[in-house]
Amino acid sequence: MLDICGRGKAFTCDGVTRRDFLRVGTLGATGLGLPQYLAAKEQGAIDPHKDEQSCIMIFNLGAPSQLDTFDLKPDAPAEVRGPFHPINTASPDIQISEIFPRHAAVADKFSLIRSCYHSSAAVHDAGWQMMQTGRQFAGGVETPHAGAVVSYFRGRRSDLPAFVVLPETMGRGGGNLPNGQAGGFLGKPHDPFALMADPSKPNFEVPDLLPPADLGAVRVERRRRLREIVDQSVRNFEASDDARLLESNFHAAYRLMTSTEAREAFDLSKEPAKVRERYGMNRFGQCCLLSRRLIEAGVRFVTINTFLTVFDEITWDIHGSKPFTSIEGMRDIVAPMYDQAYSALIEDLSQRGMLDSTLVSCLAEFGRTPKVNPAGGRDHWPQCFTVSFAGGGVQGGRVVGASDPIGGVPAERPTSPPEVLATIFHSLGLDLDDHLPGPAGRPFPVVDIGHGPVTELF
Amino acid sequence: MNWIKIAVCLWIAAASVARGENTDLRADGLYVLPGVIELQGRQAAQRLIVQRYENGLGVEDVTERAVWESNDPDVVVVEQGRAKPTGNGKAKLYATVGDVTAEVVVRVDDFDQSVQWEFRRHVLPVLSRAGCNMGACHGALAGKGGFRLSLRGYFPEGDYHTITREARGRRIELSDPGRSLLLAKPSTALPHKGGLKLPVDSLGYQIVSGWLTQGALAPKMDDPRLVKLMVEPADVTLKPADTQQLLVTAHYSDGKTEDVTAWAKYSSSDQTVADVDEHGRITVQGHGEGAVVVWFSSQLVLARVGVPFDNPISEDVFTNLPESSFIDTLVNDKLQQLRLEPSPRCTDAEFLRRAFLDAIGRPPTETEAVAFLKQRDPQKRIQLVDQLLTHEDYVDYWTFKWSDLLLVNGRRLRPKSVKAYYTWIREHVEESSPWDDLVREVITATGSSYENGATNFYALHQDPENMTENVCQAFLGLSIGCAKCHNHPLEKWTNDEYYAMANFFSRVRAKGWGGDGRGGDGLRTLFVGEQGDLIQPLTGKPQWPTPLDGKPLPSDYDADRRTYLAEWLVSPDNTYFSRAIANRLWANFFGKGIVNPVDDLRVSNPARNEPLLEALSDYLVHIDFDLKRFMREIMVSETYQRSSVATEHNQADEHYFSRYFPRRLDAEVLLDAISQATGVPSQFNQIGYDGNDFENTSEYPLGTRAIELHDSAIVSDFLDTFGRNERDITCECERSNTPSIVQVLHISNGTTINDRLKDQASCVGHALETERPWDEIVEQAYLRTLSRYPEEQDLRAIVDELNAAPQTSRRDLLEDLYWSLMSSREFLFNH
Repeated sequence: MLDICGRGKAFTCDGVTRRDFLRVGTLGATGLGLPQYLAAKEQGAIDPHKDEQSCIMIFNLGAPSQLDTFDLKPDAPAEVRGPFHPINTASPDIQISEIFPRHAAVADKFSLIRSCYHSSAAVHDAGWQMMQTGRQFAGGVETPHAGAVVSYFRGRRSDLPAFVVLPETMGRGGGNLPNGQAGGFLGKPHDPFALMADPSKPNFEVPDLLPPADLGAVRVERRRRLREIVDQSVRNFEASDDARLLESNFHAAYRLMTSTEAREAFDLSKEPAKVRERYGMNRFGQCCLLSRRLIEAGVRFVTINTFLTVFDEITWDIHGSKPFTSIEGMRDIVAPMYDQAYSALIEDLSQRGMLDSTLVSCLAEFGRTPKVNPAGGRDHWPQCFTVSFAGGGVQGGRVVGASDPIGGVPAERPTSPPEVLATIFHSLGLDLDDHLPGPAGRPFPVVDIGHGPVTELF
Repeated sequence: MNWIKIAVCLWIAAASVARGENTDLRADGLYVLPGVIELQGRQAAQRLIVQRYENGLGVEDVTERAVWESNDPDVVVVEQGRAKPTGNGKAKLYATVGDVTAEVVVRVDDFDQSVQWEFRRHVLPVLSRAGCNMGACHGALAGKGGFRLSLRGYFPEGDYHTITREARGRRIELSDPGRSLLLAKPSTALPHKGGLKLPVDSLGYQIVSGWLTQGALAPKMDDPRLVKLMVEPADVTLKPADTQQLLVTAHYSDGKTEDVTAWAKYSSSDQTVADVDEHGRITVQGHGEGAVVVWFSSQLVLARVGVPFDNPISEDVFTNLPESSFIDTLVNDKLQQLRLEPSPRCTDAEFLRRAFLDAIGRPPTETEAVAFLKQRDPQKRIQLVDQLLTHEDYVDYWTFKWSDLLLVNGRRLRPKSVKAYYTWIREHVEESSPWDDLVREVITATGSSYENGATNFYALHQDPENMTENVCQAFLGLSIGCAKCHNHPLEKWTNDEYYAMANFFSRVRAKGWGGDGRGGDGLRTLFVGEQGDLIQPLTGKPQWPTPLDGKPLPSDYDADRRTYLAEWLVSPDNTYFSRAIANRLWANFFGKGIVNPVDDLRVSNPARNEPLLEALSDYLVHIDFDLKRFMREIMVSETYQRSSVATEHNQADEHYFSRYFPRRLDAEVLLDAISQATGVPSQFNQIGYDGNDFENTSEYPLGTRAIELHDSAIVSDFLDTFGRNERDITCECERSNTPSIVQVLHISNGTTINDRLKDQASCVGHALETERPWDEIVEQAYLRTLSRYPEEQDLRAIVDELNAAPQTSRRDLLEDLYWSLMSSREFLFNH
């Protein structure tokens, strides 16, 4: 029976949600609907190993300097090596910057690719597209984010959406281009669910996740029935993508609202204070913690944006002058926050036995100029930068590829964005020979043909 | 009234004559392209196409099936699909496909002479085509491997110097061209990081090598320049999976032409319709209309590709269509070409709601809805249009629209300036100022930011470069920012043109700091200095002020340079201006532009219906930019009155207006619609600055509607969630009307609708007091929210649902009823 109570009270509603799933499942949206998924799982048609795999993509918006973080060049001239010194880590093969002391302790769990590069413009937005979709948008074709691809092939496996962005989708990058954090040609149903809230705020809750307290289950259900009468008698919206999208949003929202699982996944107060503090009581730290809870609750792909924009915010974008960030701003504010949260996430996933099934990939739109600029900062540099992977089958403590003596170009094993995406898909168990339904029904390779995963990581 | 109609008719007649002159009038049959072949010099060659034409359009590329014959092989022969000279004279080539033969005349001159390879005309295109001067290679600002070329060859003199003089001349070796780095590297005779770009046996290699052998002559001021780029066939109608080769011909100022098909670069404006490869070969992917953009030496030309849908529609559908405006004729032409069936007329109730939302930014009230629906006059739709365009709420809505465009934003201007700017816009809307007058005032604004609101445009954009870029974006739909540093890589705009344009603003000065969003008094007095020029960094000299594609400022011009610019900007000859505003207005009424994005009118982003946009733009000029008259023409058209219900034969249409495209209401309009339906207004009492910094404001008394807000900094979670325009940059992309789960959660669980319904003064409270039967209450609720009467069966179903519930909590039932209406797509969308 129905027992939906409002905000702040326990409610279960198994009957409603299951029936609702069935209805939603017949919507005919692309990809695998939850009922089909549950049925397939019951019949053993889903490989449990592949299905367990998840991904947390930390997107280091602003683009960290490879030379000041993971690819130090202590022997290079002063104007190249910058102010920081390398330190030893838990892995004999990895040295990293002194600004990441806590990374050192978990270096046996992550591996670095020091030879990542791309050939797009050195504009934030262009790099966002490259690194999150593996491609540069062209001719009006917007390629999907890796999370949307996973959402398309796998669908949701719980009441929660398959693909979530924390805390918000990216803001301005200066190039006025789409940011690559959407479903693109796969359609809006595969857009991420964006939290749009700061989980470090004292009374954090997902905006409007639950019905008002005085609206009981009976009324929620009545509203749904009345709305159906009003809405379904008109045919004006059948051929409108946006209108169909709104309707599928209604179903998805209804499912979220009525799910205990979903509500609890977002409830950070369920975590001991010690755990929350270990991650850092700031937006990024709590997003990392929340990403772990969401993966536990069934989300397949979480993207965490370390920052929301490069303007007027202290970020990785260390041009050295306003409205951007100084190298000291990175050292004193960005690096400690990042170091604490990342190391906490890796430790936590590892202790919970989740690391093997959860790939943590840390990407950015590009690296930074080998030479320190006159303002004491570094500018955009897509020619060479470092990305990191942990978990999800990746062996820790390794370095793949290398840059030249000034960190300016790949010297060994150049690694392109499609290879980075292929690595993620490989870890998640997707078939790289599969095709996506491209614009006008054209088959679109999952990653550009000829690119495979970075197998040295596994 | 009649004389207006006659004038419009005459004007349409003139417009169609003008179009007729440009039409390719080839009779049905087989043709060799290009239609005229002139080969100059021994090395000349011309790629050939055999094209079948129907109704003046190329419909099939049959080149592969053609058998070639020359009537004088001592003059010309065909080798590998190319006409090659064998001696001076005139000859004919015959192409036979099946039993049909087409012919073309070929003239060969100067056969005894070798081509004189020129740097500008030949060498640079080879380097561009091979990608040497791309942004990712030597065209990067810092060059590559110590070798730096201008991006896509925009600075030939500089490139010549780099190639021949820099690196101690090692890049060229005149006595043995193959040893020149310029050839040894890209042919990988020496290691080249960029890989093999010019194989030794390629034509490109031979051209560069030939140029070196002939002494590597420098580009000269009087070199022949590219005056025109032509593509053939320029307009084709094809079927899915068809392929079509394009030919590109360069016309030079010395009268010579050259086949540059092999040196041009190709891209598709819509890959869902047609793809194109690097050789200029099109492959059709799907239905609709697209264009292939051809780039050569900083010039662009388009080839249109039409692919009619598979819909079986009889011709009668189009012969009997009612048309009430030239708009209908041109839209229907396109629908017929693409075989899309027009949807029937919408209902009165649909028209009513649509017209209110589009013209004055709110749905009709219950009273307004009942009055219109009960009226029996067959002319009532036209009467409604006239009422709306003179309605007082028209002023609120269009002030709001232009405030988006002009960036009235309290995060960047002080409140007093915001108010002056907003008030200035509002006065123009109230007076129905012609668009050119309003824009002219912005461009030439001077004086105090408190007294002349228009000067705040220059408070937002304070340097000549920014002023130029924002003027171009806002009023011309052109984004020229790239050309600030180098020739626009995708467009025709050059670095020179950018600075020539920007120099118009170099004498704009201001007294007083004015401040930013949070500090300062906002007082800034704008004036124009007597001297000063903007230096173009490339040359170190000012570029003489010249509008884009316009005539230079006269040398004796001693008034405000901006006056000259403004006159050019709004003149009928500058079609960018009239097209930009025509497209913006169209998009307001149809939910999408004829060109999309609405403010992206670059050449390489063609209109979905060019004759329509051209006619609308001409019409706007013809009526002296009288916006209301333009809106009236749109609103009385049959096209505007089409139903949004798709038919079987137009459901695939996303661009051609065979039906009305539903769209979610703008954030502000939606919030006002909720306030109006519930009878409970919004409250706006805070300005939000960057970085979570707030300030209270008493500018907006209770009852102020969201579209009446002066600026985008006023705090409202609803407006943020539903994607209002933040007004940070001049770009339509700043507003987002895409639905999201978060929006749905807000409608379902958020305060905006729920709290209003609980309010004692709301529609729910009123309905409770009257104690009327459910039938009447439901009917009223429909009228208040959806502006129509309920269908009988829906009414019954709803009343049954309400009766089935315990009647003790009628308030809850009423709230649920109103919620279900306001959460329906019919309410959230304009349809």
